[in-house]
Amino acid sequence: MSATLAKGINAFKEVIDTPIASYFSSCVHCGLCAEACLFHNETGDPKYTPIHKLEPLRRVWKQEYTLLGKLGKMLGLSKPVTDEELTEWEPLVYDSCTMCGRCSMVCPVGNDITYMIRKMREGMSASGHAPEDMKGATKRAIEIGSPMGIKWPAVQAQIKHVQAETNIEVPVDKMGADYLVLMSSMEIINFPEYLSAISRIFKQAGVSWTLAPDAFEATNSGIQIGSSDLAREIVSRIVVAAERLKVKCVISPECGHAFTAIRWEGPNLMGKPFGFEVKHILEVLDELHAAGKLKTKGKDKRPLTYHDPCQITRRGGVVEQPRRLLGSVAEDFREMPDAGVMNWCCGGGGGVSANSRAEPLRLEVFKVKKRQIEATGVHTMITACANCRIVMEEGLEHYHMKVEVLGLTELLAEYLVEGE
Amino acid sequence: MTITNDSEFKSAIAKLPRAGQRQVGARFAESVLALCKDARVKHAIATAMRADTTEDELAAALDSAKKASVDSFTLCGKECDWNSQAGHFVAEAALACLKSGTTPAWDAAMHARMARTSESIATGQGTENAESAAQYRILTAFLKA
Amino acid sequence: MNHLDLLTFARGSAMNWALIIFVAGIVLRLFEIFGLSRKQDLARPRTDSPGSGWRTMFTRSIPPQGMLKREPVTYIGGYVFHLGLFLAIFFFAPHIEFFRSITGLSWRALPSALVDASVVAAIVALFVLLAHRLNNPVKRMLSGFGDYLAWTVTLLPLLTGYMAYHHLMLEYTLMLSLHIFSVELLLVLLPFTKLFHTFSVFVSRWYNGDFYGRKGVAS
Repeated sequence: MSATLAKGINAFKEVIDTPIASYFSSCVHCGLCAEACLFHNETGDPKYTPIHKLEPLRRVWKQEYTLLGKLGKMLGLSKPVTDEELTEWEPLVYDSCTMCGRCSMVCPVGNDITYMIRKMREGMSASGHAPEDMKGATKRAIEIGSPMGIKWPAVQAQIKHVQAETNIEVPVDKMGADYLVLMSSMEIINFPEYLSAISRIFKQAGVSWTLAPDAFEATNSGIQIGSSDLAREIVSRIVVAAERLKVKCVISPECGHAFTAIRWEGPNLMGKPFGFEVKHILEVLDELHAAGKLKTKGKDKRPLTYHDPCQITRRGGVVEQPRRLLGSVAEDFREMPDAGVMNWCCGGGGGVSANSRAEPLRLEVFKVKKRQIEATGVHTMITACANCRIVMEEGLEHYHMKVEVLGLTELLAEYLVEGE
Repeated sequence: MTITNDSEFKSAIAKLPRAGQRQVGARFAESVLALCKDARVKHAIATAMRADTTEDELAAALDSAKKASVDSFTLCGKECDWNSQAGHFVAEAALACLKSGTTPAWDAAMHARMARTSESIATGQGTENAESAAQYRILTAFLKA
Repeated sequence: MNHLDLLTFARGSAMNWALIIFVAGIVLRLFEIFGLSRKQDLARPRTDSPGSGWRTMFTRSIPPQGMLKREPVTYIGGYVFHLGLFLAIFFFAPHIEFFRSITGLSWRALPSALVDASVVAAIVALFVLLAHRLNNPVKRMLSGFGDYLAWTVTLLPLLTGYMAYHHLMLEYTLMLSLHIFSVELLLVLLPFTKLFHTFSVFVSRWYNGDFYGRKGVAS
């Protein structure tokens, strides 16, 4: 599939819907979205103003879908969108936007700018203006099954490792299990602790669950790069496996965009509501905890804080669950300033961490996280997204901060009451 | 006493004092050191293995192991190279025995096994490995010494 | 044409035409927006959150935590301007009389002195906001001809209304005519400039509120 400008403009035209038309109509150029944006906030560069990142899409809307704009186009008064312009915009749309959704919460006229960026990326990728690294990740996700090139044997190796460590059998392809557990490549590669924690907690809680060899990967590069066709292909693997195994619920792992991809975009990509539920692991753990099935003993004495991953909290609505869970195992839990739905992004979401070109900027904007952590005075930070976790590890190292980052599931497993 | 399985392994480790856990954990990491090209890791492991280290030396070793670990993380969406991932887990093993965890030697052992697992994924030669048996021998020898 | 004829024209056919263009423009613009349609969201909402879109239409007027401190000029200037303009349009006795003449509805007016003060406040706010627009790098970058045009046609009715009321500069009948013409200019341009946010803001806020409502994030 070759990418051309015409395809890109066509994709722009296709994604513009009533909400987008109302958003562009309502913008009064007040600039408040810039104040909400991580990238503008930390660099002070006006080009990072969120609404400005949408300028080519706005012009296509105006030229194609408004009477005045059409007249202007006919008379040659308006500037058409060109390849050069999209090349210039590529870093704005991909490198300096993590689709964290903060601007959408702040815009006084209610523009969901994040939604528009997600849509604009459809045209950017169709016209060939997506970062090379993200193209590679998407290609691997389609051809190999994982954006990081992981195949099932690697997962099997990890299963073997976890089984030896925990002495618990990891169920694979179990028909009729209640839960299908997904993982992110990150957890397979970097954090075997996640699978080990899940095994132990679920055994203790008596949960029936399974992994699926044809659908172990939860992340969706198709959504990050902005290609609904590829995103649909990736989601459909999970749907097929969930239906084949007749599970009641699919569990999205400690990964932000994976949750958005399968929980919120999934049914829309497939064009039908799912016959199973989709929950984030924190929702499941919170339910188990409330039902008395997740018993913990003792409390962590370290002062600790929680970093809300954008797609799980602000864009996903999992806000109270991590706090209740932390309350059960943390003695000294401290909120960061702006915690919860207004938390600041780690800087690496939305495909930014996969994009080498964006690395210096990503480290620069980490300053806000640094200030947030310093305000709490803790040396331990808990989160629920493997990508946030690594991005923050890098940021912390870059700024010489001695702060340890842990996954919440893993922390809970440390205090699990076992063998009763 | 000869250790032959994980439960004996785990309980023997749990009986060790903090310093002993560090030293034996470092030996587990050393056993897979060939998989890591990072000189900082080698140095950190060497420091952790010694019985006569000072607090300052340990803190410096922890720092450099941490740096090596962060430098070798594979970021989300980047193509995974299992050989360098093996190296990352060696750094993690070194880090684990220097960190103030509750079971440093056990954590180091697990990371060392993941390093070996990563190596076997990279070479495509199945996933069986003898690292746990090697760790039982290391621990047995350490306890005898 | 003497001043009285001019006033008669302003109040008569000019006003009629302006209103026709205004209404037709609004209908056209709303048609442009709603004609695009929107796909139904097939993802199960987290909680049934009826009315989240409707609530957001109003709650978005309140700055989110920390934002007022970050951009006080924009927020406070915005409040003062919008409130002042609103009071002047809808609570000045002669204006209510005008609305009664076309709709048959009427309501109580505010004392003229209060309306006068709110007009002054709105004018001052407009100038402060303009200065801010020219000084703030983000606003300056975003702004183009349309923004300054919108600013000008909003200022003119406030300014001419104030001057007519206080009998400043020009003869009253002439100034009143200019005031009405300026309102007509505003009416004609409103649907086709960013002033259209007067209407579309309720649509965009609704969609935003609906989106976040479905996700279970109070908005």
